[in-house]
Amino acid sequence: MIYKILPRQEGEPQTFARIDDDGLCRLTCTEDYPEFQKWIEAGNEPLPPDEVSGE
Amino acid sequence: MPRSRELAELATSYDSGGSLGFRNRIINGDCRIDQRNNGASVTPTVSTAYTLDRWGYAFTQTSKASIQQNAGSVTPPAGFTNYYGFTSLSAYSVLSSDIFSIAQFIEGLNVADLGWGTANAQTVTLSFWVRSSLTGTFGGAIQNSAVNRSYPFTYTVSVANTWEQKSVTIAGDTSGTWLTTNGVGMRVWLGVGMGSTYSGTSGAWAGSDFRSATGATSVVGTNGATFYITGVQLEAGSVATPFERRDYGRELMMAQRYYFKLTPKNTGYFSSGYNNSTTVYRGIVNFPVSMRTEPTALEQTGTAADYGVQHGGSTVTNLSAVPSSFVASLTSSRISVSVASGLTQGQGSMIIANNDSAYLAWSAEL
Repeated sequence: MIYKILPRQEGEPQTFARIDDDGLCRLTCTEDYPEFQKWIEAGNEPLPPDEVSGE
Repeated sequence: MPRSRELAELATSYDSGGSLGFRNRIINGDCRIDQRNNGASVTPTVSTAYTLDRWGYAFTQTSKASIQQNAGSVTPPAGFTNYYGFTSLSAYSVLSSDIFSIAQFIEGLNVADLGWGTANAQTVTLSFWVRSSLTGTFGGAIQNSAVNRSYPFTYTVSVANTWEQKSVTIAGDTSGTWLTTNGVGMRVWLGVGMGSTYSGTSGAWAGSDFRSATGATSVVGTNGATFYITGVQLEAGSVATPFERRDYGRELMMAQRYYFKLTPKNTGYFSSGYNNSTTVYRGIVNFPVSMRTEPTALEQTGTAADYGVQHGGSTVTNLSAVPSSFVASLTSSRISVSVASGLTQGQGSMIIANNDSAYLAWSAEL
């Protein structure tokens, strides 16, 4: 399980996607989510957001 | 038990500080509510994992247990229809630093009247039905939020695979800090395998992080061992009164303060809102009860095609990514979802479920 930074929507807080071992995202959270905080405290870093290609 | 005896017990409890209504500080003590899994078995992967509503499972090693409402399909005690079923998946030798425990953390607002941490601390009684494939001395503990005040206790399971009712009376703690806010007011632990670091002397308050009693039986130590509980009640006073019956709607609402799962079924609606652009929908979901705190996570199935935006009348366009963007308050959540194309900016629309499995859920657990 890892977390990934999601592209930030205008007017909304930064959110993170939890990517489960099967590759699916079943949960997104803010930086205040306790399990995310535990994961960060364990020395992990979220993956950067996917790059969005320009038109 | 004769009803006259129940009345007498209520009177005795009332005399010792108990109340006659809303006595039970445990939510979902009869294990009727299982929003997350709807009776399905789970093997938790995230510690402290919530399974049946309000019931957490804290563990330091994964894959040692499965949890299921009514696991094993045994007949519950008379007057109950559901129970919390814990099954060991291996014969694991608990290390000194290991924790395996069923837990319910009670919000401080719901135990503030007990006066713990003051000279007026009230006595409480914890009672519950237990059935295990193992016999012997089992352990648990009551603990504060900061995990530096603990009261380990023991109880005995005398006969294997037989429901037995247990009660433990605990003198209120006059020391330490016990939160009376929307934080953790009290931790109730029922150990199923506790390392020596977290095990203490039964029947006494300690200024340590103890979550069970020394020498307690380890359920995770026996492959296939079972440990079932129901009718869990924590109340003021020195007497275990009959389990307090609350109507299902009330109990569900009490649980939804901590976790709310919206399951509208196929073609049902999650929310109504508007098209913010040709690819983005925004809408509001109102919570049925004020949450304990602003939810910090949004859960969904993990499959974008489980969800669609209904727009322009009856046109349904599947999402291009799972619902992920949200801003939540105590009473509602705004959500934004995306489709590849086709929305008309400014028009009203709705998020719908494309099957019976689709859900959105918000957590404000302790």
